[in-house]
Amino acid sequence: MSMQDTGARGLLPRRPRALSLRAADAMLATGLVMAGLLLVLTLVFGLNPPASANTGSLMARFRPPALDGYLFGSDQLGRSMAARMAAGMPWSLGIALVAAVIALTIGTVVGLVAAWVPGWPRRVIRMLIDTVIAFPSLVIAVTVIALLGRGFWPLAVTLGLATWPIAARVVYAEAMSIVKREYVVAAELAGVSGAKILLVHVLPALRPTLLTMFAFTFADMLIAESALSFLGLGVPLSAPSWGNMLSESREYLVTAPWMMLVPAGAIVFAVVALNLIGDGIAAASRRRSGRAS
Amino acid sequence: MTRGLAIRDALLRRGLELLVLLVSISTLLFFLLRLSGDPAAVLAGDEADPETVALISARYGLDEPLLTQYLRYIGAIVTLDFGDSLRSQTDALALVMERLGSTLLLAVLALVITAVISLPLGAWLGFRPDATTRKWVNGLVFVLQGIPGYIAGLLLIQLFVVELRWLTSIGNAGPSSWILPALTLASFLVPKMVRVVAANTAEAMAEDYIRTARATGASDGELLMNHALPNAVLGATALIGTQFAFLMSGSLITEVIFAWPGFGALLVSSVERLDFPVVQAAVFVIAVLVSLVNAATDVAFSLIDPRLRAAGS
Repeated sequence: MSMQDTGARGLLPRRPRALSLRAADAMLATGLVMAGLLLVLTLVFGLNPPASANTGSLMARFRPPALDGYLFGSDQLGRSMAARMAAGMPWSLGIALVAAVIALTIGTVVGLVAAWVPGWPRRVIRMLIDTVIAFPSLVIAVTVIALLGRGFWPLAVTLGLATWPIAARVVYAEAMSIVKREYVVAAELAGVSGAKILLVHVLPALRPTLLTMFAFTFADMLIAESALSFLGLGVPLSAPSWGNMLSESREYLVTAPWMMLVPAGAIVFAVVALNLIGDGIAAASRRRSGRAS
Repeated sequence: MTRGLAIRDALLRRGLELLVLLVSISTLLFFLLRLSGDPAAVLAGDEADPETVALISARYGLDEPLLTQYLRYIGAIVTLDFGDSLRSQTDALALVMERLGSTLLLAVLALVITAVISLPLGAWLGFRPDATTRKWVNGLVFVLQGIPGYIAGLLLIQLFVVELRWLTSIGNAGPSSWILPALTLASFLVPKMVRVVAANTAEAMAEDYIRTARATGASDGELLMNHALPNAVLGATALIGTQFAFLMSGSLITEVIFAWPGFGALLVSSVERLDFPVVQAAVFVIAVLVSLVNAATDVAFSLIDPRLRAAGS
């Protein structure tokens, strides 16, 4: 869905116009610049965080932002919020990235198989997808995490496994329309094997869909990770993930509201960047394929 | 297909889905609990001595073969026997059902708020999307969509409880304490719903029948109320069905933030304490609830959709 589907003016019979190519490209470019900034910050500060992320000075507790060299203020132990936010990037963004890759990989394979295999296997797969989608994924995630334990990998794998059906449903729907196209039917008649058709003809045509979905899934996983950490069921309690920082901030809403606003701002910044990328790709590909005309 | 048949088919499909869901989730929980170590030790808690662990092992039949355990476990679920809460020694299902009302109250309030905000706003945005102010509002909705619901909740607390001191944020103490949790839960859905209603309205406004109605002299208001909006409401109804599961995920967090006495908060605290009978009962109730809502939306959908209505008469 594009951001600004435009309607008909006056009596002219016009289909809703998708975003102009320029507007779509502008969204995409803005999103990419924001995501690039996050990537650079993660590589420069996140993977090798400043010491002030973990050791603070009790003399410098609850410093407001932009005061005494604390760009984003300091927390209840006098640790720099800016440094902690950077140190949280590999956790929050890393887990979301791995979870999104897992969800999309499984979803793509299952969706393609369902689109290719007719009869009862397709019905079983579709039923499985519908069933898992209809259940609140967070409910499953908190239960599984409680049993597997906290940590980077348990969280990433659990989130990925809880999310793949959404990707599978989208890939399935898209692949169903692609396998009916003439060039795929022609390849099939020419005797090309099923696996080869899926890999050579169907998968490349799915690229814009997969890219869009990757951006949105990444954003969803980031929100889910921080939500679970916020509930105390995500990363280890000592890790400076954005969700953990939010969770800690709840006790100090009155004294130090920036302790909540800094990680919240980081999450919203990342999610908006990913949404811009996703919507930008979707609008541009709709426009180029001429479906919106 | 007649409407009656359509409804029957939808209900059958949802029933089958619910069955598959309950069996697979119960199975998942059963094996995860056993994979993660000695379930008797988990059930007994961290500080239990060996005798207690042995007692629990015997009481739950955990020393028997896995298949026997599994069959008895499924049998107990079929008869709605989830056992007693390890913490309070009362029936787990009763504990969950006690809190059903609170969770539903919050969910219904959130749905009402979502409808009240997103239908007019979406219709306004979609009616003439080219207008400059609406483009700005669209951009604003886009940014708001990037704010996760629970962060919206924290911001609401910061504003109305900490800064303005208008409202309280702890528990259920009468209607004024409902406002913030309900707004928080609604914020999970509102931006998405606004965009769907706006897109549906915009699409409807470009249809031929709108052009015909306009040509016969219908006013803007008539066009919107009689032609474009019903279409958008249809899309929004379908969305509520699919988004109810998401709303339940949201109520988990919302109830924890506001110490709301619903089963979402109960589930989280039971998971933390590894109180598995309660976890299983809560997951079971949530699965049934989601299926019921989906079935209800299916039925409502076939009742309002004019295409199905025409086919049924």
